[in-house]
Amino acid sequence: MLRILLAKDLRRAWRNPLPWLINLIVPLAMTALIGMVFGGNSGGGGLGKIRFAVVNENSGGPSEFLRRAVKSMEGENESSIQFEPIFTNRAAAMQQINANKISAVLIIPTNFLSAYLTAQTNVSLELIKNPAESIHPAVLEELADTLVTALNVVSRNFNSEFPEWRKIFEGDGDYQKISALIQSTGDKLKNAKKFVNPPLVIYEKETTGTNATKATASAKTDGRKSSSDSLFAYLLIGMSAMFLLFLANNGMADLLRELRKRTFERYQTMRQQLWPFIASKIIFTVAMLLFCCLVMLGGGSFIFGFHWENLFPLIALTFAYACFAAALFATVVALMPDERRAAVLSNITGMFLGIVGGCAFPPQQLPGFIRDHVTPLLPSYWFADAARNLECGSATAPWLFVTLKLLVAGIFLAALSALLFRGKFKNGRRA
Amino acid sequence: MSLLTVSQLSKSFGAVRAVDSVSFEVRPGEIYGLLGPNGAGKTTSISMISGLLKPDSGEVFVAGAAFSADPQKAKSIMGVVPQELAIYEELSGRENLEFWGRMAGLSSRDAKARATELLEALTLSDRAKDAVKNYSGGMKRRINLGCALLHKPKLLLLDEPTVGIDPQARLNILEFIRNLRATGTAILYTTHYLEEAESLCSRIGIIDHGRVLAEGTLAELQERIGGDRVFVLEADFKNTSPEAWPGFLQRFRVLQKNEKQLVVAAIGARDPADGLKELLNLPVHIENVSLKRPSLNDVFLQLTGRELRE
Repeated sequence: MLRILLAKDLRRAWRNPLPWLINLIVPLAMTALIGMVFGGNSGGGGLGKIRFAVVNENSGGPSEFLRRAVKSMEGENESSIQFEPIFTNRAAAMQQINANKISAVLIIPTNFLSAYLTAQTNVSLELIKNPAESIHPAVLEELADTLVTALNVVSRNFNSEFPEWRKIFEGDGDYQKISALIQSTGDKLKNAKKFVNPPLVIYEKETTGTNATKATASAKTDGRKSSSDSLFAYLLIGMSAMFLLFLANNGMADLLRELRKRTFERYQTMRQQLWPFIASKIIFTVAMLLFCCLVMLGGGSFIFGFHWENLFPLIALTFAYACFAAALFATVVALMPDERRAAVLSNITGMFLGIVGGCAFPPQQLPGFIRDHVTPLLPSYWFADAARNLECGSATAPWLFVTLKLLVAGIFLAALSALLFRGKFKNGRRA
Repeated sequence: MSLLTVSQLSKSFGAVRAVDSVSFEVRPGEIYGLLGPNGAGKTTSISMISGLLKPDSGEVFVAGAAFSADPQKAKSIMGVVPQELAIYEELSGRENLEFWGRMAGLSSRDAKARATELLEALTLSDRAKDAVKNYSGGMKRRINLGCALLHKPKLLLLDEPTVGIDPQARLNILEFIRNLRATGTAILYTTHYLEEAESLCSRIGIIDHGRVLAEGTLAELQERIGGDRVFVLEADFKNTSPEAWPGFLQRFRVLQKNEKQLVVAAIGARDPADGLKELLNLPVHIENVSLKRPSLNDVFLQLTGRELRE
């Protein structure tokens, strides 16, 4: 019986795939959009390459210093951000920024070095950001701030030696003086070492034993990052949790269509038991959700260049969550007296579970009361939290318990929807 | 023995009594017509008989057994054709028939064979593979009918199966239903079309406001209003009252009266010419008189005081 009902639904979906395709394309498009904004699959799984121009109007000196510094950043493979500087003149740089080929231009003005070393006037660097981009210019602005801070630190600590350094840069330094200058600067740097290395404040990413080892090993073998190292794995789980709710809503809306078209009633004139019909809808919706999830999570993993570390537990969790979501919306359909009200309640329920359940935003961003007292009660949070812990936190996350909880909730809701439908029909209510 | 016996069936929706103590029976090879206007309680009655609705009181017996004793068995005996097109528009005609055949308990092979037979009988073989959404209204109606016939039900419930289709398609469906009767199928047919009830049904139950007001064969129902003749008088009846005419109400039954027209039936067996003479002697200037056979509409008119077409 179930097989026949499922074959019928599959045939119908195949003949009229548009509703499913639209619901599948929306999350994919959003994932792709986010991927494009953040650099897509540039290999880093992060911001990708940031192209910017350096214009040296000062000639020599600091430009060379900066060029070397930037070149060293460019070769840094471990960084999630890759820089691609080009050294050119102002007109060419402006042309490139207008053509949207670079994210920003850093201009070192005329007499910058001399003014900096004499410390007679305030000096400034000029940063022109590309208005058509948002993330990359912001990163470059942060870097420019850091550079300015570093220059200020150097200026305050080596101010007394600047006149000598200036002469050297201008090419009329005495070699004996240069030697003494290097000696004195070296001593100062040596004294500063205890403040700089090791640093007073450090940031360390928390990883756990085998998980970290495994991630490093696989990163070395396939050249892709693990989910625990990717911010997008964290975001994708939340997005998928949210969109699975919408897709489940769409899937179970077919039950409303069957009510409206009276095919559900015709089924009842032939079969006494309602549950096979409802179960077939839930199973079909779950199968479609798993397919959509495969596309979303698989596609996201491809776009952002990482792999899921704990695939089997993630599949089990997703399956249980899909069961819960389909059964939930079957209950909403059974609960409401007509199609319009059912559609409104379904949408509100989906939005509520997605937002308050911490899928759309990280749950930490939610208001205190909701975060502490409401969010933990929501199955969408159970799923998103367990999946995030699993992929971006600890491998020992309690995924099995959460999977069972979601399955039990799904079974309970499916049984409830069958009971509600029976009562609804006996009372003569129709779609 | 009756294939369907409906006994004192009642159903209320809040304060509205949709069906009120309805009783009738349908025998094998008989088409029983339930005739009434929209909202009379026809669909609610069929919903209760087919198990879609739980009656407040009363009982339905299918092939001698109470429906409630074994609903699945009763459902396997009957086929239900709903008023709406309860078919999948994305699927082809054949796929629809096969699917509902499987739902009715046929094996895949039997469902295929039966679908082929029905497509032939419904003259839809050449469009069998087309999606139903591309069918005309009449073709959809035929598939809707066919979906209830896959398992060769002994009892067929038809809820206004010809609503919204053209006359030619309607004739095709009515002919198909007559052929089903010939195979011994007991058919309950609800309609608000007088002509359909008159031409198709062996017996007719007239239903209004949830109550069966009269039932019988067409002849029996005509007899209720005074034989096989009614007189239609045209005159100015604005300020007149038949009650004031001496002995009139003892000899004639008033079926309808308005300012311009009076419809009456003669009481007792009399020659129509005698009746005509009496009517022409009424104290009213008669402009025109016509004599006709009483229709179901006249019966309905007599029972409810209004026309079925209103």
